[in-house]
Amino acid sequence: MQTKIVLDEEEMPKRWYNIQADLPSPLDPPLNPQTKNPASPSDLAAIFPMELIRQEMSADRFIDIPGEVQDVLRLWRPSPLYRATRLEKALKTPAKIYYKWEGVSPAGSHKPNTSVPQAYYNMKEGVERIATETGAGQWGSALAFATMLYDIQCTIYMVRSSYTQKPYRKSMMQVWGAECIPSPSTKTNAGRAMLEKDPDTPGSLGVAISEAVEDAATHANTHYSLGSVLNHVCLHQTIMGQECREQLASVESYPDVVIGCVGGGSNFAGISFPFAGDKLTGKHPEVDIVGVEPASCPTLTKGLYAYDYGDEAGLTPIMKMYTLGHDFIPPSIHAGGLRYHGDSPIVSRLVHDGVMRAVSYHQTEVFDAAQIFARSEGIIVAPETSHAVKAAIDEALKCRKSGQEKTILFNASGHGNFDMSAYDAYYAGNLSDYEYPDSLIRESLNRLPKVP
Amino acid sequence: MTFTIGFLVNPIAGMGGAVGLKGTDGLLNEAIRRGARPEAGNRALGTLRKLKNAPFRYLSCSGSMGEDILKAAGITGFEVVYQTVRNTSSEDTRNACAVFEARGVDLILFCGGDGTARDVYDTVLDRVPILGIPAGVKMYSAVFATTPESAADIILQTGVLVRHLRDAEVVDVDEEAYRDGDLRTRLHGYARSLYLPGLVQGTKHVLEDQDESRAKEGIGRFLAEVILGTPDILYLIGPGSTTGAIARELGFQKTILGFDAVKMGRLVSSDLNEEEISRLLLNEEKSRLIVSIIGAQGSVIGRGTRQVSPKVLRMIGIDNIIVVATPHKLSETPVLFVDTGDKDLDKAFGQYISVISGYQIAQRKRIGVMTSGG
Repeated sequence: MQTKIVLDEEEMPKRWYNIQADLPSPLDPPLNPQTKNPASPSDLAAIFPMELIRQEMSADRFIDIPGEVQDVLRLWRPSPLYRATRLEKALKTPAKIYYKWEGVSPAGSHKPNTSVPQAYYNMKEGVERIATETGAGQWGSALAFATMLYDIQCTIYMVRSSYTQKPYRKSMMQVWGAECIPSPSTKTNAGRAMLEKDPDTPGSLGVAISEAVEDAATHANTHYSLGSVLNHVCLHQTIMGQECREQLASVESYPDVVIGCVGGGSNFAGISFPFAGDKLTGKHPEVDIVGVEPASCPTLTKGLYAYDYGDEAGLTPIMKMYTLGHDFIPPSIHAGGLRYHGDSPIVSRLVHDGVMRAVSYHQTEVFDAAQIFARSEGIIVAPETSHAVKAAIDEALKCRKSGQEKTILFNASGHGNFDMSAYDAYYAGNLSDYEYPDSLIRESLNRLPKVP
Repeated sequence: MTFTIGFLVNPIAGMGGAVGLKGTDGLLNEAIRRGARPEAGNRALGTLRKLKNAPFRYLSCSGSMGEDILKAAGITGFEVVYQTVRNTSSEDTRNACAVFEARGVDLILFCGGDGTARDVYDTVLDRVPILGIPAGVKMYSAVFATTPESAADIILQTGVLVRHLRDAEVVDVDEEAYRDGDLRTRLHGYARSLYLPGLVQGTKHVLEDQDESRAKEGIGRFLAEVILGTPDILYLIGPGSTTGAIARELGFQKTILGFDAVKMGRLVSSDLNEEEISRLLLNEEKSRLIVSIIGAQGSVIGRGTRQVSPKVLRMIGIDNIIVVATPHKLSETPVLFVDTGDKDLDKAFGQYISVISGYQIAQRKRIGVMTSGG
């Protein structure tokens, strides 16, 4: 049996798959935060290059990956697909488990799949500097790597709790020449306002986004870049799912279940959109697509499907998505990359329409799963990824009960080599199983004035 | 100014336990007859040896109540401010603490059990921070360090420079019932004690977990919003300083050891007994109970809580109980115990309980099985 399914470099997809082309009706448009009217390309031009704005709004099914971007992606792509035979044996399951291993990129996660094209399009437009935010540091390090390739300066606002927890991600950004600032910072109005409200805040992705957007909007030579949520980011990540489909086809297989962890939604989108497209177009209507989120920040499972801001200060376009409210500050779990109040509008729409579904897990049980994975397959995954591992293990255990030989595919989106403090806390018994008390929160919001 | 510690030892603490008696109060002669020897001094020595090189000043008591142990630890910078007779009593503990307070100590470090904690607390209340070196038979109060050595660590790491202070419960344990294998604790009061923020999440991970008052303020703000958002529900708010934060947010003063009723954000009545609560509930369509976790063993509704009887709990309904606790408290109590005094009711809580631990944040905690009979 083949353990590692590897494509040749020539077999790397040359186009991204745009699922917007296969949606039964167009997405609800993003709204301008000031006028509340649908945002136009010019609304976004101050902070994004035009090609990314075009991709954001495109209805073309496929979009070509520029040759120069392909050259860089080939440093680690196509990434391997593993058959997890040792994990199957450990679980005594008849299920076939496959995982896409994205820890092979220079930054150690799937994030460079989009940081490289984003930096490339900015370079093409002559942008000198990019500002961004990062949660756990996966995105920050990926953008630091990409901007270095194209000689662009990079400033990264890193959520304060992660800045303290994950000092080595910050070091990676420095190695690649980027500036990394804990957020909230005193450099922006949004940061100063947050610090004034609460000097001891652990920060959040929502606040860090506000800071980076403000930085870009107030500096003429600076653009903004986002590592998840937006349509063009999900688009760039579809290279993973397309490779998986090829790799599985080479062993004459197709998944029954596709699983990814969800923070802003891009890694889940990347692994699942090509399969969701097959489902939408009737080629594989039965494929079960599962997004996995933390119980402490359960956007898809307990949030509202509504228009909300993408950031704390309300600077970004208003998007229709599942949200816990843009002012919600999730507790400081170790999977910092999953601490986001909202979600990708496309992922939200597909969950809302029943094309995909979502589950949530507590912190301790996902580390239990990560340990089982490390002790069978050898790889120590990032805390974010361990959510996908947990769901895959649960699906495989269901198969053990039912006797079904399902094919399960999950995205092993990144390694946990810089997250050992989280594993330390797990072994010391110090992980808190945070939850989102949704019914009480709904009641607490009753007293707020209703906005039409 | 030099950090000054009032140090005292209850020399007979723990003697009963060593010879199979569940407590020493009133049983000292029996304990001695069974061959018990004073051990508390040795326990305290474990703490003092670690503190020996720190630049502290000590005020203490004569003989086995302090002086002997300070000398044995090689500490010279101390002053005996309270003279004891040969057989010390709880009276001596209280008198010594009164002198410590009058002399303006920064901390009272005592060695003993729950009985000693109660004597210290009754004298200084929350005016002086206190920390217990565990040496007694029962140590269910939250003012105790886990070991004598960790008491020293807490002082060295937090006491002097940063002063991480928190409210810590002092509990009464029913001695008679306890000897029969039945643990009944009752909240006696809230002392001020030192704590190590680092105990939460292992290292300096979780910023919001490090500050007790910040966590309490978050819990108070959140539940005050819930109360205001549900004007048709009557809320019974139980004892404690964490629940007190809710009242503060709503703008009234809560009775610290009692149950108060609140509706539409306004105080309906305070310090209710069981009968008054039952009467009140009869007229309400829906009610909820907000309680905090009590004691070092982490009990939810200890059976010493006389006001909330199993009958009252059934009237309210288990689904309508909201438990609150700060992250630090939860980190010290990996498992919680539900102890209503009615086993069927205890079982109905299930395996897990969701505890509100901050603004819009809860933690799932496992419910353990009581092993102490009852």
